[in-house]
Amino acid sequence: MRHSNSAALLIGIVLFSTAVFAQSPKHLADGQPNMQGMYTRTGVKGLEAEPPFNPIDPGQSNPLSVSNREDGLGPYPRIFGQGGNVLRGGQQRAQRPLGIIFPADKKLPWRPEEDAKRRQFLLDMNPVKDLRHVELNSRCALPGLFEGEDGNNPYTIFQPAGKVVITYDYNHTSRVIDLDRREHLSKSIRLFMGDSIGHWEGSTLIVDTTNYNGRIAYSREIPYLSEDLHTTERFAIVDDNTIEYEVTIDDPKLFTGPWKVAGLFSRAAKGVDSLEFACAEGSQTLRNIFGR
Amino acid sequence: MVAIAIFIICLAGIPGAAQNTVPRTPDGKPNLNGIWQVLNTAAWDIQDHGGALGVPPGLGVVEGNEIPYQPQAAAKKQQNFAKRQTGDPTEANCFLPGVPRATYMPYPFEMVQTPDSLAIRYEFAHALRLIPMNGKHAEGIPTTWMGDSRGRWEGDTLVIDVTNFNDETWFDRAGNFHSDALHVVERYTMTDPNHILYEATIEDPKVFTRSWKMSMPLYRHVEKTARLLEYECVFYLQEERYKNAPFK
Repeated sequence: MRHSNSAALLIGIVLFSTAVFAQSPKHLADGQPNMQGMYTRTGVKGLEAEPPFNPIDPGQSNPLSVSNREDGLGPYPRIFGQGGNVLRGGQQRAQRPLGIIFPADKKLPWRPEEDAKRRQFLLDMNPVKDLRHVELNSRCALPGLFEGEDGNNPYTIFQPAGKVVITYDYNHTSRVIDLDRREHLSKSIRLFMGDSIGHWEGSTLIVDTTNYNGRIAYSREIPYLSEDLHTTERFAIVDDNTIEYEVTIDDPKLFTGPWKVAGLFSRAAKGVDSLEFACAEGSQTLRNIFGR
Repeated sequence: MVAIAIFIICLAGIPGAAQNTVPRTPDGKPNLNGIWQVLNTAAWDIQDHGGALGVPPGLGVVEGNEIPYQPQAAAKKQQNFAKRQTGDPTEANCFLPGVPRATYMPYPFEMVQTPDSLAIRYEFAHALRLIPMNGKHAEGIPTTWMGDSRGRWEGDTLVIDVTNFNDETWFDRAGNFHSDALHVVERYTMTDPNHILYEATIEDPKVFTRSWKMSMPLYRHVEKTARLLEYECVFYLQEERYKNAPFK
């Protein structure tokens, strides 16, 4: 009798320990809300009010555009958009404003002299004045938080204990958000992807990022942000398939105050697989520009 | 009696705890999460080699030190060696290093492990592999630089089967190479909390007469501050190559 009691206890403990160690769909073993999986993102590329004309923007109404060409030989070959075509079948839930949400009139608080510099910089991008004026994406560098994530390429969220890791199909990019660290790296370390520290507030991940290198772009109209850039991101889990995203962009060197952009992560449809996005390996852009 | 039973079950609830002391994930697998790096000179030459200017000498990582090239392939290896300063896709051009070369580049990499899939982030050229567990290889997709990787557990060993390579990467700076028929089977076996035995079996019937194997330890970066930074190889190369370039 004692023996069978012990056996029952053994089984009970086995079941209990299995339950504790198994991943629940809502929370992971380290307590993080579970948002693992593959997503696509929309909304983060909203245009500001009165954007400058951009010689590399393929907009059809852009009198300066030279890349709106039928031969697919603009700065972006057509194949770059195919991931988006695959993913557009995924679920999307755009029930809130996307793009620039603050200021409400989308007039970014540019410092006038910096806005003037930015507009001149754009004009010097095509024909390109020098290497500094080559669009960052064409150089196949890490894109930072904004470029390359315009909904055309999926990315995948991993949550090992104490971290959130986000990988993008776009140019095999990835970033790590440390949850167990308080202080940023020294200012001597400058990174395209910045140095990210996060924490959870309920089901919202809040990420503070500094140590940017002054080379990343926000968009084709905002071709660089400064080393003083400080971003605060919020990833709010709304349901199993949706994360509402918001990023506050604070760059006191370029702007008199912060501005905010809203985006949406939608879980990719089942069966979507990740594909390699080699970039420098096949890019002819710099050869075409510089002739060698 | 109950106390003994609980003790036994506590051991049983953590599979393998009795066998060794490697860290485990909540699902009982060896926990490979962390930042790893080799301490060898395989990036320069995977075989035994002496020193030269800028080339640290080293014992090779190829078992038996022999790479079983077919005769024509052996000649091509010599040609590659002769032109390595400009011809190495990875060092001279900053292209993605392929597998297993990514593992033994002299840069750290980070393993990100979850039950369903694994990511490996490499500092060099921000190379990245996404590795679904227990899936089938993709079919009908273009060949790739880093291959198509599928993982599985064999006991406490993570086995990654890698196919669908292009023929563009080399194994090292000495010009050792493969074709698009390359098939790599990697085995990651944690031997203690801070070491992994890494083995890679190489098959390529277009280039070699038989399969062959590399093996080497991987060392954990144990510093509390350890993290991957960015080595944006192609960006730096462009700065050199085009700094004062005349326009076309």
